Amino acid sequence: MPESQQTAFILLSILILTSAFCVVLFRNLIYSALSMIGCFLGVAGIFILLHAELVAAAQVLIYVGAISVLVIFAIMLTGHRAGDLRLFFHKQAWVAVPICAVAGIALMVVMATANYNATKDAQNPSDDAIASLLFNEYAFPFELVSLALLVAMVGAVILAMKEKK
Amino acid sequence: MKTAVLLIPLLPLASFIITGLFGKRYFKEKSHYLSVAAVAVSWLLSVYLIVQVERGEELHWQVYSWIAAGSFKVEIGFLVDQLTAIMLLVVSTVGFMVHVYSIGYMKGDGGYYRFFAYLNLFMFSMFMLILGNNFLMLYVFWEAVGLCSYLLISFWYTKQSAANAGTKAFLVNRVGDFGFGLGIMLIFVTVGTLSYSGVFSSLESIGTGTMTAICLLLFMGAMGKSAQFPLHVWLPDAMEGPTPVSSLIHAATMVNAGVYMVARSSPIFSHSPNAMFVVALVGAFTAIFAASIGLVQNDIKKVLAYSTVSQLGYMFVALGVGAWTAGMFHLVAHGFFKGLLFLGSGSVIHAMGGEQDMRKMGGLKKKTKITYWTFVIGALAISGFPGLAGFFSKDSVLAGAFHKGFWYFWLVGLVAAFMTAFYMFRLIFMTFHGKPRDEKAFAHAHESPRSMTIPLIVLAVPSAIIGLLLGLPPESGHIDHFLEPVFEAVMGEPVHFGLLDAGLMTLSALIGIGGILLAWLFYVKRPDLPAKAGARAGFLYRAALNKYWIDEFYFAVFINPVRALGRGLWRWVDVGIIDGFANGSARFFNGVGMALKPSQSGKAQVYLFSMFLGFLALLVAYLILTI
Amino acid sequence: MTPLQQYLALSIALFFIGSWGVLARRNIILIVMCVELMLNAINIALVAFSNYSPTGAGRGEVFVFFVFALAAAEAAIGLAIAIAMYRLKERLSIGDFDEMKG
Repeated sequence: MPESQQTAFILLSILILTSAFCVVLFRNLIYSALSMIGCFLGVAGIFILLHAELVAAAQVLIYVGAISVLVIFAIMLTGHRAGDLRLFFHKQAWVAVPICAVAGIALMVVMATANYNATKDAQNPSDDAIASLLFNEYAFPFELVSLALLVAMVGAVILAMKEKK
Repeated sequence: MKTAVLLIPLLPLASFIITGLFGKRYFKEKSHYLSVAAVAVSWLLSVYLIVQVERGEELHWQVYSWIAAGSFKVEIGFLVDQLTAIMLLVVSTVGFMVHVYSIGYMKGDGGYYRFFAYLNLFMFSMFMLILGNNFLMLYVFWEAVGLCSYLLISFWYTKQSAANAGTKAFLVNRVGDFGFGLGIMLIFVTVGTLSYSGVFSSLESIGTGTMTAICLLLFMGAMGKSAQFPLHVWLPDAMEGPTPVSSLIHAATMVNAGVYMVARSSPIFSHSPNAMFVVALVGAFTAIFAASIGLVQNDIKKVLAYSTVSQLGYMFVALGVGAWTAGMFHLVAHGFFKGLLFLGSGSVIHAMGGEQDMRKMGGLKKKTKITYWTFVIGALAISGFPGLAGFFSKDSVLAGAFHKGFWYFWLVGLVAAFMTAFYMFRLIFMTFHGKPRDEKAFAHAHESPRSMTIPLIVLAVPSAIIGLLLGLPPESGHIDHFLEPVFEAVMGEPVHFGLLDAGLMTLSALIGIGGILLAWLFYVKRPDLPAKAGARAGFLYRAALNKYWIDEFYFAVFINPVRALGRGLWRWVDVGIIDGFANGSARFFNGVGMALKPSQSGKAQVYLFSMFLGFLALLVAYLILTI
Repeated sequence: MTPLQQYLALSIALFFIGSWGVLARRNIILIVMCVELMLNAINIALVAFSNYSPTGAGRGEVFVFFVFALAAAEAAIGLAIAIAMYRLKERLSIGDFDEMKG
């Protein structure tokens, strides 16, 4: 990877990982949400590095634009208060650290020692290519996903509706 | 002749089926017509048969091949010879009379039709038992008469004691039949056939040890069926049944099946002197044993029951010492007069309104004349009063024993004869003479209806004269000649009547009369004597009164331990192990479920953790497997 | 490390941070947020593989679109549930909702 790209990658990685840590560790929900937004933006940057601009755009639109707003709305609709550490982490929290660490290291080892049939240079599919794939070969999953979205929409409305008295 | 032989058992069978099926709804109080008619025809045919047999005709007839399994072949066949004919005559005569008698005795009973149906079934089974020509038929119908006995003893099945008595009869019989069955199996194993002719012609091939074993096993069956010690315990209890049943089955017919069986198997028995000795020994002991109990009983039917056991013992003594015709003679005579005596006792009970305890009777002579006189005839016969049937038959038994050298059996028989005379006349004096002890019952007493008194009269005739008819001259009388063809292989030297025999005869006559006189003394002249004698005898008296505690002994040694074993098995094996296994496995799975229950805590974080750990495990496994 | 491996390392790290959050925190909404983190990690991996794969070019991106859609749907439902649960219990601690126990 050219030098500039490497630097960009490292910076973006730091952004992403730090934000992730903040999401997990902050006690204030809003701070966690804001960190999450930062994480999403970092991921969008990674997508751009990978020459997937369409995906990056979609990431920003969907995650930052919709999901994060949704999360903040949810936080506001439900109470959130600051308080004792025990209110936020439960007893098993300390066990989670080693478990995740061990799992992560194991997976890293697998990844590092695997044999990739990878090309040296990046392949950058054009938007046309992605679109033609989406509407030709993967048309059926596409329709299904739209159905899933419809169901989710209706379901979310019903679930969150106030009971009529 | 063949038709007669077929009809004799089949008519009662048909009557049983029809009366049994339709009696309840359609015949009701008229149920007796068909049954009595069937038995009457059977009786006529038996008379015809014996006339034919007297003329020399015999019948060996294979009717139907029943089992043919490899080398095991059994047919249904009929054998009619003199022995069969005479048994048929006794059974059908007494049976006919009992049927007529039951019309009056069982009148008004709720199970009227059932009674006649069972009686007919019994007649069928008994006839087939006598007519069969092989051991298997004998055994099958042996069991059948046992079944009928059970049904009839517990006829009033709502009464607990009656039901118990029926069960007891069946079970005790079963013990004997166990031996009987083993004997038959042994016969088959050694000889290879079960037909009488086949077995009797192959006797040379059986070793003495086996022969004795066979005889003893067969005799076990006879001990059960004919109520010899120690399997006698069921007969007194069988008095729970209606009196006609006691008369027919437990005096004149079924209990004779054991005697018949031994007589029929005379070729086998005569090859084993040891077995014959055992037969005579058991018979003699039973004769005196049962007579001693009968001395002190207070129930009229129980006295007669023990008397039957005792007289059967006499018959076995005769058979055991080799006086085959004497045994059969006593069987015929006893069938008539014991049948008569039982029917008479039934008449007494009927007159006293159901009372059976002699201590409450008395003075019935005036009120029930026919019953009284027929009863006296029967009692004189059984006591061996000169001239009547019992005198000749008993004497031939005793003389036979004496002549064959078994003087000790002769002596025992004599003592038993004395006791027999004593207790029979004790019964008569207590029941018919003296002052009535229960005024109220006495006031109601009345003579029985004609349907009951006519059989009494009819049966009194042979009791009186059959001795004269068949037994003269003694030891070579009509009956001995008649049965000769059957027993000629096994009879010893024919005995001629000499001075010694005359002396013995006089002695037995005197003994009989002596017993009667003693009874008169005790119960008419000086009624205080019995109590004093009882007090002096003390322990012996109590022992006899309590039947020597044999039933109690059986309960303690056999019945209660088996019951305890059953209870123990039920508690430990059935409930503990088997139920425990079934319930335990259910509980095990319940436990497993309970143990796994905490894993469904409902707490999402626990679920998440488990999922994660599972994922981790898979990962580790993958790593290990591929790296 | 090849570039591919670098991207994958990032993806793995992000994934496990997200899973740590899912396991460690009590608030339902925060758990949903951490799930979104995990999904993002997956997206990174998918696009990285698609980028360096000789035959599967483009397919990774297509897959990522599907993940977007479903992640959004799932977030919507999850948050709706959270709101409904909050209305029921006035609290959002995941330990309180154990009616399905046993």
